[in-house]
Amino acid sequence: MEEMTGAAALLSALKSEGVRHIFGIPGGAIIPVYDALYEEPSIRHILVRHEQAAAHAADGYARALGKPGVCMATSGPGACNLLTGILNAYMDSSPVIAITGQVPTHLLGTDAFQEADLLSLMLPITKHNFLVKSVEELVEAVRRAFQIAMAGRPGPVHIDLPRDVQVAKARVKIPAEITRREKVRYDPDPLRVEEAVKLIEGAERPVIFAGGGVIWSGASPELVELAELLGAPVVTSLMGKGSIPENHPLSLGMLGMHGRRAANLAVTECDLLIGVGVRFSDRSTGDARHFAPKAKIIHIDIDPVEIGKLVRTDVSVVGDAKRTLAMILRLLKERARRGVRSEWRERIMQMKREFSPKMDYDDIPLKPQRVIKEIMEVLDEDSVVVTEVGQCQMWAAHYYTAPGPRKFISSGGLGTMGFGFPASLGVKVALPEKKVVDVAGDGSFLMNSQELATAVENNIQVVCCIFNNSYLGMVKQWQDLFYGGRRSQTYLGKSPDFVRLAEAYGAWGDRVTRPGEMREKLKEALKCGKPAVLDVVIDPEEHVLPMVPAGGKLDQMIVGD
Amino acid sequence: MRTRIFSVLCENVAGVMMRVSRCFTRRQINMDSITVGIEPSGLARIIILFKADDKMASFMQRVLMRLEPIVEVQMLEPENSVAREICLFKTRKLGEEEMSEVIRFIQSAGGKVLEIREGSLIGEIGGSHEEVERLLSSLGTERLKEVARSGQVYLSRNNRE
Repeated sequence: MEEMTGAAALLSALKSEGVRHIFGIPGGAIIPVYDALYEEPSIRHILVRHEQAAAHAADGYARALGKPGVCMATSGPGACNLLTGILNAYMDSSPVIAITGQVPTHLLGTDAFQEADLLSLMLPITKHNFLVKSVEELVEAVRRAFQIAMAGRPGPVHIDLPRDVQVAKARVKIPAEITRREKVRYDPDPLRVEEAVKLIEGAERPVIFAGGGVIWSGASPELVELAELLGAPVVTSLMGKGSIPENHPLSLGMLGMHGRRAANLAVTECDLLIGVGVRFSDRSTGDARHFAPKAKIIHIDIDPVEIGKLVRTDVSVVGDAKRTLAMILRLLKERARRGVRSEWRERIMQMKREFSPKMDYDDIPLKPQRVIKEIMEVLDEDSVVVTEVGQCQMWAAHYYTAPGPRKFISSGGLGTMGFGFPASLGVKVALPEKKVVDVAGDGSFLMNSQELATAVENNIQVVCCIFNNSYLGMVKQWQDLFYGGRRSQTYLGKSPDFVRLAEAYGAWGDRVTRPGEMREKLKEALKCGKPAVLDVVIDPEEHVLPMVPAGGKLDQMIVGD
Repeated sequence: MRTRIFSVLCENVAGVMMRVSRCFTRRQINMDSITVGIEPSGLARIIILFKADDKMASFMQRVLMRLEPIVEVQMLEPENSVAREICLFKTRKLGEEEMSEVIRFIQSAGGKVLEIREGSLIGEIGGSHEEVERLLSSLGTERLKEVARSGQVYLSRNNRE
């Protein structure tokens, strides 16, 4: 037991959870914590320029490492600026710990300066939240916050910390540093697994649909093994992208609204769909009533709430993806039937050949497909691609071949424009040795472009590739396709000059306009020793195709060339 | 759609009612009744009545179980549980004749007269939801000035340890 202030206790508790980085901005109600941080050598604080970016950076950090990311802000406006980022983390099941200052406890509820009712505001967008009233409670809250964030389906947790608790002194026991916390694994019900195995054995045309749960569970090896054992192709959600290396012969890429044609067709034709760690979002399924119309559906997920929520299931298994897949594999291997579905495999390979995406355009202005192709030529297996939201994101999701889990990071459920750039900073802080590229759009990038200052001041060397078409491209695409081309309020114009904007912040900036240039300039940008922005001028008329209109059937796609 | 009864055991911490009730609001479900009381263990038991089909009821049970302070969510069936509601009511000023009629109603319904002051009566009825409803409707809105009801509480008959 040691007497310390709430602020010191907070930092000690964070250190005992293994926290090395915090993204945040100080303000009046959290100065005591920042004061304690002033003489804390083992935690690096990255000062961002807007709290939303702190939440996204912590989110990117968490997704890159597979462990909680921490963000911090002051009360009222600071905390409210975190909300979008916290909801984003909640929707995508990312373990973000948010810590905010709060007005002193005796002023709670009085509309004090910079007071916001954060218990209420954070409640619906976190797995759990705490309003801490004493130093003793604080130490316990931090311990529970980290447990809750990672237990089962991961998600964000918020700790609201009134100013008087930060300065109060108490004798508290800080737990010893946890060097390695084993993830609590949830075992599936063996009877359900048995039922699932029976369906798998009887299937002639199985497809595996993998989501973010496979990545969080670390189940990629089991996923690949199951696919190979069955000869079953794997399609993924946006969150599941990379759960199987996408250069694997059985990978069909992303499913859904902007999924690969082969993926959408395989799901439509299959007689068994094995959903693992997915929540069957409307962007993946299209019209849920016509989803996988010929198939029986097995749904494996750690969150019982997801079972049967959106699609009918024939067998549901609540459990950890890794444990469940391992159990299925063990049972399957004991039985006679192996991957003998040669007809189905042939059909899959034929679809893959027939619908392989075309990327080798030579047009000027550049086609985004070509730009992605050149990015892939430069990046290696360890590189991480982060995306903004909109057309740029869907081009990346559709065309980029993710080499493995945690190599493609994107805002899925909430679709938060402005996510990519600050998230990429978090990824780079987590993985300083890896190449980190943000695939951005001009609209999205501007929603958090102030973080160029953060990148430059902290020397976080990410490369932001702005797919610049001077439009809010995805809205424009919907206007072109479904609103008679009435481009209401989607033209963004020519401002700013992104190269000069980057330079104004002290970052490296360059423009890409011709085929072949992306390859060279990205190489340069990655070596320039600074954060970099590439303004890639692309064809403003290009749509993301194929596309399944919202609520449509997966095999009825609007296709391009 | 039929009436569902949830008996929710949870930690007695600030905000737990909000955590529970917003799960219903968010899914456009109107709760017919919600009551809460503290058990000797220190845990709180919330009884919630709402209308839903089987799928939604099971979904809501799982949604509530996901909340951190929730310990257990039982779905009770009326035939396997005991139900009670308590209602206090105050009448307007009544004449002598009307007063004796009201007292008769209350006594025959198994209620109690708690006090009579300046021609106004405060009474109590405890029983099933239907018994409470019956008395209130026989007294009539004209005579009643104020009514306070506990909401419906249910206790499972289940004896498993």
